[in-house]
Amino acid sequence: MISKYTGIAPKGDLILLQRLGEIFRDKSFLHVNSTRAGGGVAEILQRMIPILQDLGINARWEVIEGDERFFDITKKIHNALQGNHETITEEMWRHHYEVNRRNAEKLDLEADAVLIHDPQPAPLIEFKPQGGEADRVPWLWRCHIDVSNPLQEVCDYLRRYCEKYDAAVFSVSKFARAMSIDEFIIPPSIDPLSEKNRDLTEEEIRQTLERYDIPADRSIILQVSRFDRFKDPIGVIKAYRMVKKYNDCILILAGSPASDDPEGEIVLNEVREYASNDPDVHILLLPPFSDRDINALQRSATVVLQKSIKEGFGLTVSEAMWKGKPVIGGATGGIPLQIVHGFTGFLVHTPEGAAFRIRQFLNNPHMVEKMGQRSKEYIRTNFLITRQIRDYLSVWYAIKNNGKSVYEL
Amino acid sequence: MDNATNKAKPFEFMQCISIIKSTAKRAADLHELRDLIATVSEESIFHHTCQYFLKGRIREYTNDFAHWVGESLEESALAEQLSSIDPYEFKSISELRSALLTVIDNYFESFPEPREALAGEEFYFNETITIVFPARIRAKNLAEFLIAIRYIDAASIYYHFHEARTRLGSGTDDFSKWFDEVLGEQELARRLWAIDPFMHSIEGIREHIVEIVDEKVKRDMEITGVEE
Repeated sequence: MISKYTGIAPKGDLILLQRLGEIFRDKSFLHVNSTRAGGGVAEILQRMIPILQDLGINARWEVIEGDERFFDITKKIHNALQGNHETITEEMWRHHYEVNRRNAEKLDLEADAVLIHDPQPAPLIEFKPQGGEADRVPWLWRCHIDVSNPLQEVCDYLRRYCEKYDAAVFSVSKFARAMSIDEFIIPPSIDPLSEKNRDLTEEEIRQTLERYDIPADRSIILQVSRFDRFKDPIGVIKAYRMVKKYNDCILILAGSPASDDPEGEIVLNEVREYASNDPDVHILLLPPFSDRDINALQRSATVVLQKSIKEGFGLTVSEAMWKGKPVIGGATGGIPLQIVHGFTGFLVHTPEGAAFRIRQFLNNPHMVEKMGQRSKEYIRTNFLITRQIRDYLSVWYAIKNNGKSVYEL
Repeated sequence: MDNATNKAKPFEFMQCISIIKSTAKRAADLHELRDLIATVSEESIFHHTCQYFLKGRIREYTNDFAHWVGESLEESALAEQLSSIDPYEFKSISELRSALLTVIDNYFESFPEPREALAGEEFYFNETITIVFPARIRAKNLAEFLIAIRYIDAASIYYHFHEARTRLGSGTDDFSKWFDEVLGEQELARRLWAIDPFMHSIEGIREHIVEIVDEKVKRDMEITGVEE
């Protein structure tokens, strides 16, 4: 499987992966998160686990289960970590812990390295197997959320779990908090061979456009994201309306529901209402596993937006850039890491800013092409899944080998 | 090492990757930046200066400190001065650290109250863990070297051309050293060493190396052709 990336991913990453695969052959690497489908974390894990296995590593992926109340609480924790005012009572934290305790009884937490994703399963560290070899197993907490400006008391409460891990991993430097453990910065990634990112035929693209009744002969402005206020879908519609005064175009807002996001439907209704039956605004609620359709929509778009106000990383930016599209993104979270302003796309702060850049692209196809080429190469060298797996295994290696600053393999 | 042994020694391309480790220290203004430059680890100073070149494309500045001072604080004069500090000029990171502090302290004498960065635009001090490994490509002679250098990952060029300046600490880099000591090509070594790492992205440096070596290979072939 790893050989399929030859000629696509940077060669050095593939060589190092093979080397690390030899070092960790038959070792077990457990990942735990809270949803199998929807959102960037589940998507990366779906692709990463088979690659790790192909490298000879016994990789496993477990998902914690919780009731509706648990996911309401964890959504509130998520929002608070992104800066929203939420009240998490002591009783709610107890439920968060209890659900994790029940999951720990069911899950096999024995492994040679463990990576726990996001706050939902963070309390699992309390149930880390103890004694002998188990004491030397590195447990890492992986935070995918923008925690640059969190609600302090929620952050502090969560810290009591996080600091029991051997290290934490954040997507962007500014998310790292002052903690008593090592903190690594590993941006997430996309898989160039997945259904969402592989090359498509003209026929496959045409089928998607037909299915969703999208005209192929008009300029398409696209944002792909969950229906979440932090993604600012209303701001996108505002920008589209400003552009529409000058250029003919249609707007597509496409998103899949995530099983751990109870707010999605409320936001979707707000967006529908705001769009008020404009026939050129296409709001597509895509079922889970609509990867090929998302791929086709991104390839059909003239301009791709990711106008988030808060963002963990915003992998849809990398997806569109990999397809040779320059992206207009909100200057937040991991988006500025992917969009080098004026080189691979534009960073904006307001609907007005987004509208201006959309118009620039619609009027300058040459600029679109040039920035699009740079975008693809930028993603190839920095944001492919091979780089992310390489980084996880390197951190595991560094922790096992006593934290020197240079290693020769 | 005698000449015959030297000639048998191929150039083994290596490359490196860096995993970023946060120090969780951040500066919101120039005073905080100064105080943290004075106290952060040597690995952090190394990362924000020498490893800046790993970013790939040519930018306005030559290190992260200058970049932040210029872009986020908009203190252009200081950014220019910080940018003109050559990290390879110093024998140790401690000397480099002193040079950075001197430039900032001098600036304070004229501008004692510089502005603050906007929220979210702070400077974040990081370190790195570096992993070095063979690129599984070797060159036995200049012609093989020429092919390899065209296609090798940019991270390999960084390792041999930039990082080697700190590692070898003797006014050379891995390529120049091999040309000089193994191939006995002193002039080629001199020309390669003369490529200014500040003025080019890694891809720009690749182009220059290709140009210099290509010219030499072509010339050697012509000489061979007229030999009797």
